Amino acid sequence: MQLLDLRTKLDHTSQAYFRFRRIGADKTLITNLEGRWLVLSDDEFGRYATGTVDDGSELHRKLSDHNFLRATYDEAKAREMIASRKRFLGYGPNLHVFVVTLRCNETCVYCHASRADMDAVHTDMSKETAEKAVDIVFQSTSPGVTIEFQGGEPLVNFEVVKHIIEYAKQKNETAKKVLEFTMVSNLAMMTEEKLSLLLDHKVQICTSIDGPKDLHDKQRKLPSLSAFDASSHWIKRVNEAYIERGLDPALYHVEALLTTTRAALPRYKEIVDTYASLGCRALFLRPIDPFGFAGKTAGKVEYPRREYHEFYRKATDYILELNSKGVQMIERYAAIFLTKILRGEDPNFLDIRSPAGAGVGMLAYGYDGSVYTCDEGRMLAASGDPSFRIGHVAESSYRDIVGHPTVRAMVIASNLDAQPDCVSCTYNPYCGIQTTHNHRTQGSVFGRMRESNICAVHKGIQDYLFTKLSDGEPHVLEAFERWTTIRSREHFLHAPEEGSSGEAP
Amino acid sequence: MREVRFHRELYRGEHVDQAIKVYDRFARIERAEEDAHWVVRLDGKSPERERKIADELANYALGLTIQQRGGI
Amino acid sequence: MSTPESLPEPLFPDTLARVDLGEGRATIDLDAGLYPLEAVYGAAYVFIDRCYVLLDRPEPTKLRVLLSPKRPDADVAAQLRDMVGELANELLSAAWRHQITQENRARIEAVTLSAISGAMGPPSLDDLESFDFTEEAFEDPLGIAMSWEEKYAKKKSDAGEGAGKPEEGT
Repeated sequence: MQLLDLRTKLDHTSQAYFRFRRIGADKTLITNLEGRWLVLSDDEFGRYATGTVDDGSELHRKLSDHNFLRATYDEAKAREMIASRKRFLGYGPNLHVFVVTLRCNETCVYCHASRADMDAVHTDMSKETAEKAVDIVFQSTSPGVTIEFQGGEPLVNFEVVKHIIEYAKQKNETAKKVLEFTMVSNLAMMTEEKLSLLLDHKVQICTSIDGPKDLHDKQRKLPSLSAFDASSHWIKRVNEAYIERGLDPALYHVEALLTTTRAALPRYKEIVDTYASLGCRALFLRPIDPFGFAGKTAGKVEYPRREYHEFYRKATDYILELNSKGVQMIERYAAIFLTKILRGEDPNFLDIRSPAGAGVGMLAYGYDGSVYTCDEGRMLAASGDPSFRIGHVAESSYRDIVGHPTVRAMVIASNLDAQPDCVSCTYNPYCGIQTTHNHRTQGSVFGRMRESNICAVHKGIQDYLFTKLSDGEPHVLEAFERWTTIRSREHFLHAPEEGSSGEAP
Repeated sequence: MREVRFHRELYRGEHVDQAIKVYDRFARIERAEEDAHWVVRLDGKSPERERKIADELANYALGLTIQQRGGI
Repeated sequence: MSTPESLPEPLFPDTLARVDLGEGRATIDLDAGLYPLEAVYGAAYVFIDRCYVLLDRPEPTKLRVLLSPKRPDADVAAQLRDMVGELANELLSAAWRHQITQENRARIEAVTLSAISGAMGPPSLDDLESFDFTEEAFEDPLGIAMSWEEKYAKKKSDAGEGAGKPEEGT
C-alpha cells in the first residue's frame, strides 16, 4: 500500500469516527467509539479511507452495519453500546481484598505481598479491625460484593477468616447483597477441618501454580515440603470434595494463577500440561509485576516484553490446540479481551477497564485497618510508599474513602480518553491501564504508555487475538466463542432470598 | 554564599517565602526582589551544604507551586 | 566555574540541551509556544523525587529546566543524558495530555463524575448533617442571597456618609 498516494486522496466526509491499526502484513483493523470492529484488506481500507466505497457493495454493507459510515450512523445504537460497556460506572467497589495477615509459610522469589515471617503475629488482622472493614464493605453501592482473603497466607489467620465470613453473612441478612467469598492461598496449611468450613461457606478457592514441579519449587519454597506437592494435593482434594457435594466438576474446581518468570518462558508447554493435569480449566498468563520482592529480584525474574509476547502466543496457541482435542481450558487474558470484543460486554476485570477499578471498583484492607485503592497500593505501602492509602477502617467513612482525592486522581488518570496514545489507540474500547504500575515504574499515575510494560502486554495480546479472529480458523473461533460464554457459578453466591432486592452487577 | 533565582512568572513569592521558612534553620537565608526574579541568597557552613539546602528549598517551592495549580 | 559541555552522545543540539558536569546539572531550553506551562510543571514534578529541579524563563518565548540528580551516579554524564531524554519524553506526553484534556474535558468530567458518584452513592442524613452549608457556593452579582443588613451595610461602606438610608420607594 502506497501511503503517499493515499495522503493526496484522503476523504474526511464519509467515515464516522474510527481508529485504525495494521495487523499482519496486509490487513488493517478499524474500531469505533462504541467498540465495533472490522478487519479490512488493503484494497478495502484504501476505499474506506478515500471515500470510494460503492453503494450497495458488500464492503458498504458491512461498514454500514458496523456503524463506520457517517451517512448511516446510528447514534442511538452507539450510545446504547457505550452505556453497556460502561455499566460498571453506576456501582461502587464490588471486590474487597482482606489482607488478613502478612505472615506466610512460603517464600516466593517474586512475592509482591511483602510477606512476613511466621512469628510476626503483629501482622495478623484482629477481629475488631476485620469487623470494621466488613462494615465498610456493606456500605458499597454495588449490589454484589466479593470478599477476597489474601495475605501473606490467609490460612495462617484462619480464626479471623472464619469470623469475617460469619460476620459478613450476618450483616448481609439486612444488607441483602449478592455476597461471595474467595480465597487466594498456597494451600500448604490446609486441613480437612478448614476445608470443610470453607466449602460449607461456599468460599471459592484459588491457588498459585508456576508450572511443573521443579520450576514451581525453585520459585516457591516451603521449609520442609515440596510447595508443588502441597498445592497439587489439595487442588485434587478440593476438586474431589466438590464432586462429593454434587457439584459439576466442569464448573466447580480450584483455579490456579501463574506468575510468568524468566525461567517459565521456554517451558510454556509443560506449564499448560501441568495445569491440565491438575484439572485447572483456566490459565492466566500474567507477566511478572514490579511490586514487592519482584521489584528487587527483577534482575533474576524479569524479561523483555517481546519475550513475554512470544511466550504468550506459543502458550495460547497450545491451549487452542488442546481445545481442538477436547481439553477444556481457557486463557484468562484472552477471555477478558474477547468478552469485550465479541460480546460488547465488560467482564469488569478491574485492571482492564476505563476508568480502572482502583478505589471505585475495589478496595484493599491491610491487616492494620489501613484502606488502599487496590492491592498494588497496599503492596507499595508495604515497600514504604503510602501514596495509595486512602483511609482507615476506624477513622474514615465509606464516602470519604471512595471520594478521596487519590481515588479521583486515579479515575482521571486511568480514563483512556484522557491519555496520550490511548486516546487514539485502536484498542481503546477494550483496554485499561494500571495507575499504580505507572506510579511505580514511571513516577506518575499517568505514566507514558509508549514506555509502559502493561501497554506493551495489552497491545501484544490484542494484536494476537485480532490476527486470530482475522485468520478465521473454525476451531479457534469456536474456542473463542466458548471462552466468552460466562456460565454463572450460582453455588458460590450468597444471594438474598426471593422477594428481596439484590442482583449481581 | 549561594544564590537561587526564582522567576516571578513561574514561582509565587509566598511559596518562595514558605520554602525559606522551612529551611532557614539550616542556613542564613535572605530574599531580595529583582524585576524578573525573587533572589534567594544562602550562607551555610560549607559550599556543599549551601548547595544541598538551596536545591531542597527550590524543590520545595516548586512543589508548593504545582500543588496550588492543581496539575494538568 | 566549569564550562558547559555537550552531552557525551548528544541527544539534542547544544542550543536545546547541555550539561555542566562540574555542577552535575543539565539545562534544557524549551519553546514556550510548544510546551504549555502546565505541561512543564507536570513534567518537572515527575522528577522531584530523584532530581533537584529549577525552572526559569531566560526569554519571554522560552522556558528553561535545570535538572540535577539527588544521588549522582559514578557516570554522571550518562545519568544526565538519560534524565534529559526522559524529561523530553515526559514533556511531550504532558503537553499532549494537556491538549487532549482540554478537547475532551466534558467527556472526562462526565465519566469521572459518574464513577465517583456511582461509588459514593447519595449522602446519608448523617453526611448532610455534617456538611458545611455556610460556604458561598455560587456567585450572586445582584445580591439576591444577601440579607437586608448585609446589603445596606455594603452600600454604606461604598458610598460613604449618608449612605445606608433606604431609597425612596423601597
